Amino acid sequence: MTPNIVILCAAGMLVSAFLMVGQKSLFTTIRLYGVQSLLLATVAVVMAISDERPHLFLMATMTTILKGFVIPLFLMRVVDRIGIHREIEPFLNVPASLLACLGLTVVGYRVSTGFPEGTVGVTHHVLGVGLSTLMIGLFLMVTRKKAISQVLALLTVENAIFLVALGITSGMPMVVELGIFFDVILAVLVLGVLVRRIVDRFESMDVSRLSKLKG
Amino acid sequence: MLDDILRVLAGALLQAVGLLAVAPLLRSGIKKMKATMQTRKGPPLLQGYYDLAKLLHKETVRSETASWVYVLGPRVYFAAAVAATTLVPVLVAAAPLEGAGGILGLVGILALGRFALAAAALDTGSPFGGMGSSREMTIAALAEPALMLGLFTSALAAGSLDLGAVVRGALVPGALFRPSDILALAGLFVVLIAETGRIPVDNPATHLELTMIHEAMVLEYSGPDLALVEWASALKELLYITLLIDLFVPVGIATTTTAASLAVAVAAWTGKVLVFAVAITLVETTNAKLRLFRVPELVAVSLGLAFIALAIRFL
Repeated sequence: MTPNIVILCAAGMLVSAFLMVGQKSLFTTIRLYGVQSLLLATVAVVMAISDERPHLFLMATMTTILKGFVIPLFLMRVVDRIGIHREIEPFLNVPASLLACLGLTVVGYRVSTGFPEGTVGVTHHVLGVGLSTLMIGLFLMVTRKKAISQVLALLTVENAIFLVALGITSGMPMVVELGIFFDVILAVLVLGVLVRRIVDRFESMDVSRLSKLKG
Repeated sequence: MLDDILRVLAGALLQAVGLLAVAPLLRSGIKKMKATMQTRKGPPLLQGYYDLAKLLHKETVRSETASWVYVLGPRVYFAAAVAATTLVPVLVAAAPLEGAGGILGLVGILALGRFALAAAALDTGSPFGGMGSSREMTIAALAEPALMLGLFTSALAAGSLDLGAVVRGALVPGALFRPSDILALAGLFVVLIAETGRIPVDNPATHLELTMIHEAMVLEYSGPDLALVEWASALKELLYITLLIDLFVPVGIATTTTAASLAVAVAAWTGKVLVFAVAITLVETTNAKLRLFRVPELVAVSLGLAFIALAIRFL
């Protein structure tokens, strides 16, 4: 039963990453990120119970509260204040992006079989899904123009790394995990402010316009 | 020998008739749930049957320019939907006519029905019919491969193209769940929405010329012909839901034909169909209809999901 829940949630994260690629509305993308974080928290809880590692409960709680609710709500407020709700023109259109992500998923899965633990059972799937989500996140970061989309892509990458860490190392030491959490929160706050500044300056969230700053 | 053949045929007939009887209820049920969510009262639960009865009693009006293609369209569509039900396990973990064809047969038969209706819509030469056919085919061209790939994902696990064998394979205790199942489920759910003309793709409740797909195709039909089309569409919807249940949540399906296990299977099947109906209702009420040119993008997502589901099976 336990491996099934873990695989179910991990695969759900991959599906949500895919939906992010196919989605242009910023609100929906933010909600998808929230769902993805909740799935990650579920994986952590299940692993905490099955492997008897109580400190994972703390991680799951923090993931749920911060990444599941606080960060999405904060980002939604930023989007609401700015009043730009859609990613109009990514560098690559949706069908082409999806095709690219298909390729990335296959690559991610293939790479995961290169790890000694990554060839069989639950670890194989968690690792494959984690690496695929990671690469989809990186792909989103380079193909989207809106600053908020890029922040979300960064957060997706962070979720994916967390999933991979859960899959192979059975959790990092608590100090490291807490450190990462504070990094993420600070990053989101700083980026939120930065996005506002970009919008104030250019009246657009399009980061490709930043190149105009060159003298 | 003859006994066996008769028993199989009786089973197939029973299943087809049973599904035909329940199908209109599913459509009305979804309509009713949707109405409740929008705080409307909605039509009664048996409205689907009233509509069919009304249409069957009307006289047939056909265009003067209509040829045999037009007459044949709804009949083939209906026959294909009924034939397809015999290839899908519903209550027992084996399709009634398992020897007659597996996944490929099922997809082919459904495609035949779709082709017949699209060709019939073109026949009278009315602009709406042609527009509807071309739209339906545009979507089908993407949805059909997605359906095939999704079905193959499950078939690979069972090592057989027979749906009965796929279901029995998934019922083996300790069978490990795989990420590809989730991806395939997500892909096939979008196919379900697209193929049954539900909201993000098509709106079953409207006759607005700019947006309709399925309705545009059948606009020319009236009376018993229309009843056949409507009934077959409802049956197809129930069939797709049953297919998803078989592939991904077959728990509760009967492996023996004792009365007790059959009763459990009936309850489980009804419950799971209800869950899918609620899911469809939620999707319909929370989404707006997509612009026609965005629909292929959505269906392409499902094709993509089904493709990776199949690809990572090999890794």
